[in-house]
Amino acid sequence: MKNGIRWVGYGLALAAVAFSVMLATRFGRDPGLVESPLIGKPAPGFELPTLDGGGPVSLADLRGQIVVVNFFASWCLECRLEHADLVASSDNFGPSGVRFVQINYQERPQDSSAWLDEAGRSQHTLYLHDPGSRTAIAYGVFGIPETFFIDPDGTVVGKIIGEADALTIGATIDAIRHGETPGQTVTGNTQQRPDS
Amino acid sequence: MLAFLGSAGVAVALVGASLLVVRSTRVARGIGGADLGGPVKLVVAGAVVAMAAMQIALTLDDFSIAYLANNHAMSTPFPFDVATAWAALEGSILLWGMILAGYTWMVFTAYRKAPDRLGAAALAVMGAVAVFFFGLMITVANPFEVCVTAAERGCLASSPFPWAFADAPVDGRGPNPLLQNHIFMAIHPPLLYLGYVGLTAPFAYAIGALAISVPGPEWLRRSQRSTLLAWSFLSLGIVIGGWWAYEVLSWGGYWAWDPVENASFMPWLVATAFLHSALVQQRRGMLQAWNFVLVISAFALTILGTFITRSGTIASVHSFTQSAIGPTLLGFLVLVLVGSFTLLAQRGHLVASAPRIESLVSREGTFLANNLLLTVFAFVVLIGTMFPIILEAITGTRVGVRGPFFNRLSVPLSFLLLLLVGIGPVTPWAGADPGLIWKRIRGPLVAGLAAGVLVAMTVTRNGWVVLAVVLGIFVVGSIGGILFEQAERRRSKTGAGLLASAGKVVKGDARFWSGQLSHVGVVLVALGISFAANLSQHQEVVMAEGDRVTFAGHTITYQAPFQQDVPGKTSTGVRLEVIRPDGSQVTLEPRHNFFPGQPNGVATPAVDTRASGDLYVMLITLEGGVATLELDTSPLMWVLWLGGLTVAAGGFLSYRNRRQERTLVPRETVGV
Amino acid sequence: MSERARNLVYIALIVALAATVAVLIAGNPTEEDRVARLGGSIMCPVCQGEAIADSPSDMARDMMDLIEERVAQGATDRQIIDELTAAYGQNILLDPPVSGPTLVLWLAPAGALLAGVGVIAWWRRHPGAPEGSPSAPSSRTRTAVGALILIGSLAAVLVAVTSYLQERDDTTSGLADVQVDDLDEVSNETLEAVIAANQEHPQISGMRLALADRYREEGDYRAAFPHYFAVVESETSAAPEKVAALAGLAWITWDGNGELDTALGLLDRALEIQPGSVPVRFLEGRILHCAGRSDQSERVLEDLLAEPTLPSDWEDAVTSELAAVEAREACA
Repeated sequence: MKNGIRWVGYGLALAAVAFSVMLATRFGRDPGLVESPLIGKPAPGFELPTLDGGGPVSLADLRGQIVVVNFFASWCLECRLEHADLVASSDNFGPSGVRFVQINYQERPQDSSAWLDEAGRSQHTLYLHDPGSRTAIAYGVFGIPETFFIDPDGTVVGKIIGEADALTIGATIDAIRHGETPGQTVTGNTQQRPDS
Repeated sequence: MLAFLGSAGVAVALVGASLLVVRSTRVARGIGGADLGGPVKLVVAGAVVAMAAMQIALTLDDFSIAYLANNHAMSTPFPFDVATAWAALEGSILLWGMILAGYTWMVFTAYRKAPDRLGAAALAVMGAVAVFFFGLMITVANPFEVCVTAAERGCLASSPFPWAFADAPVDGRGPNPLLQNHIFMAIHPPLLYLGYVGLTAPFAYAIGALAISVPGPEWLRRSQRSTLLAWSFLSLGIVIGGWWAYEVLSWGGYWAWDPVENASFMPWLVATAFLHSALVQQRRGMLQAWNFVLVISAFALTILGTFITRSGTIASVHSFTQSAIGPTLLGFLVLVLVGSFTLLAQRGHLVASAPRIESLVSREGTFLANNLLLTVFAFVVLIGTMFPIILEAITGTRVGVRGPFFNRLSVPLSFLLLLLVGIGPVTPWAGADPGLIWKRIRGPLVAGLAAGVLVAMTVTRNGWVVLAVVLGIFVVGSIGGILFEQAERRRSKTGAGLLASAGKVVKGDARFWSGQLSHVGVVLVALGISFAANLSQHQEVVMAEGDRVTFAGHTITYQAPFQQDVPGKTSTGVRLEVIRPDGSQVTLEPRHNFFPGQPNGVATPAVDTRASGDLYVMLITLEGGVATLELDTSPLMWVLWLGGLTVAAGGFLSYRNRRQERTLVPRETVGV
Repeated sequence: MSERARNLVYIALIVALAATVAVLIAGNPTEEDRVARLGGSIMCPVCQGEAIADSPSDMARDMMDLIEERVAQGATDRQIIDELTAAYGQNILLDPPVSGPTLVLWLAPAGALLAGVGVIAWWRRHPGAPEGSPSAPSSRTRTAVGALILIGSLAAVLVAVTSYLQERDDTTSGLADVQVDDLDEVSNETLEAVIAANQEHPQISGMRLALADRYREEGDYRAAFPHYFAVVESETSAAPEKVAALAGLAWITWDGNGELDTALGLLDRALEIQPGSVPVRFLEGRILHCAGRSDQSERVLEDLLAEPTLPSDWEDAVTSELAAVEAREACA
């Protein structure tokens, strides 16, 4: 018994250390961050109206190009920060076989549209509305901005979580053009809902 | 200016705490009779000044303090401006520090009345913990940082030096809208902290006793007393937290097994186990080492809880944003656990408890079972909360563990515990005649089952509800049974009336009977949970102005949408006229509240609370006058809140009585 | 009534009542709400750990609508769960399966319960010894073991904290990312987009310069020109960047348009910013050489060579250029 207590004490102390080290490995990681299971899989199809009610645009129609699908909303700070980069990237890559598609997330189309009027659009980008969040659910969106890269065969090959800056977008596209699968890149935070 | 005052307060408290450690260590080692009042007063005064500076700053809207710039706004109304002081990370640490100072004062007053080495050693531990928390406030969680680069609203960069040149924004960002939506949010954190921080005192006595190598009954008595106080506050804090979630969070629930809720529940379970096993040590001299483990674990779990809440390591509704405080708290946790358990191991030869348990069929046997169940329960909550992290650290796989897992394990554990609550109090100490126990529980058993049949035939045949009723009536019956038995015996001796005798019995052993009051509270909680979980109804409806729906006996008419401006918020919602099943009328106004500086509204449900149950209406969307509403009925919700309050009340009563009884000789609680 | 008879009555009552309760409960008609059950076992992705059935967030409602629709379409639980986990991964399942790695989770509480029972049984057979027993370990061993554990744990925390800080440094974003080490791997389109999106950024000139140099090397002077020009005009460009841009501009005005005077003027501006700059003066010599002004070129290059502080790698370049000029070879 006497020895029992001593060794139980030491045992508990060691267990505490092991436990804490385990906790420590988690610092600096976003607890909501998950490697998207979509990478390497066929991209979920969609057929969505444009923000101004036109369309519908379907993913199948875009087959043969690299498609960059970005989920955004005007209430999301990171989306505002990345917007200029997305527009510039679409302007520069649009003429050479890369199609940018921006899908609004948890927002009325008129609100997204009004914001785009202020923030600017790229003439090469398709701006779509996602009623009932069906496309966001199919892509497993946790928070926005999230940007998916689909290769010309229709396979998801890359994803940027957080602000998509022009360099990361460009590097991802360049890698896809070289036949690589860039996979998931995390650049920063995402925002999950309007009130967070 | 106020930043200066606040920082000075924190610094003074830190100095006081350091002095306290040094001086009381000397006293505890018996090498000096230094004055401990001075340092303790410094700690208290410093903490009070710091909190006062924060409150004055909040009143004066002093946005040169970064904390205010980021968490307060001019429009924040009373009492939420007061509560803003602990609505975010740095402020919550400040509140923690102030409450810790209060408990240090409590330990000191006990020491002042009867100075001894144990008291001094406990003060040294309190001081050490205070050094850590006030240290946090001058390093990684400084509530008085000066804003040096203002944003339009809020602060972009801040300096820890109070003399830094301030750049104050015109207005602040305001607190999280969720936190300014209900009065409970103002009182829930202080209550919870009174519970959390209160567990420092029992820990201090335990570590103090180990450090001066004087285990024995004295530390246990003091630890138990202080645990009782902390436990009562913790119970209250948990109930108010659930109530707040129910009234504000708009999901009709009160408990989601969220990591932070779990973090408050684990120390509660362990402290509950300790309150029972401490009795075993007092009565029978057993379980001393186990009691040390429980007290240390309860305190460590409060630090773990703070770590979970503050570090952003685990996803949770309550988490504050990630900061350097995570690693610091983790380091402290390791220090506490390793230090305490190593100390316990080294004193192992002193704390081995003497006698062996004679019979498992005895009060101490039921307490042993109760401790086993409560510890396993706490372990279930711990492993459920931590498993995703552990698994990811080892294999890289991510899993989610929430409600379904916890419910599946906690429900049987809770029913077993409820059964024990009915059996334990009627079982005598030190080995009982099974016949006596049978005689005491057979009546309540029949009563419980009869009630179960009644409920099943008239109200619901839902198994969980019926089982809860059976066990609940059984527990109340067996508690009532021993009261009746003892009152009868007294009456036959003294000839007084039965009621008067019962009153005398209760007064005569107020500790025991306040414990039983808590047990009745537990029964009510169990009933409330089983009703809410199994008998509620939901329906989602879309209504245009003038539409009428019937739901669970209520007739609900949508009268008109409305908009309302009150100081500090704007509400849009719908006015509903509800005709209750009994024909009476009430107007409900579920709404979305919009707070300045926060672009999106907070849905606030409208709740019509009646004895038979609640009608809970939540506004989901309101567009062009068309409202989407979610309707819920939760029968007998008040039973749950009443139960929680009763649990806490039993704790407070027991604490009060313990104080009065301190000089009395312990007496047998239940006649054998 | 005798005690025995009374007991029998109680037992009979208890058995009868318990049986009635059991029958009533068992006969409870259960109609299952599949949508609610499925919703209760899927984590709301935008909340923190709430089930979608419990969350008021729009996303959770949309997911509940999806489940409702699928149930109405006649999908099985498995199909619905598979559809959602295909997008979100297993992590959104709140009810961990009793198999695979999460089996541990379900077994651990049972293990704890068994361990607890075992400890109690063991304790019943081995009660504690009285205090002050002689087998207390020597204080030296105790201190050593204690110190070892303390040091070990502090080291572990230290390692954890440093790894945390490193990891955090790695994820720092901002324009630090823009300064990639190996611009060769980045396409011109990417650089154009980065520059277009970051025109106001104080450190963008370096990237413009790199892009312009790349266009110049590719011979696309038309594309290079606006970037060189922007670097020269920008107030936030560093002096060496302006000098390099002026040099680049000088070369393309000469090589592309044959405007020698403009090119030399640009080089003079560069020398005003950075008097005596070796690369600029070398370029001057080279342009003069190519323009056929060998005397002037020789003078410039000789001056450069006479410079006592001329770095040795430049010395070689200048010497060979000078040799070419003196031999009146055409510029390469």
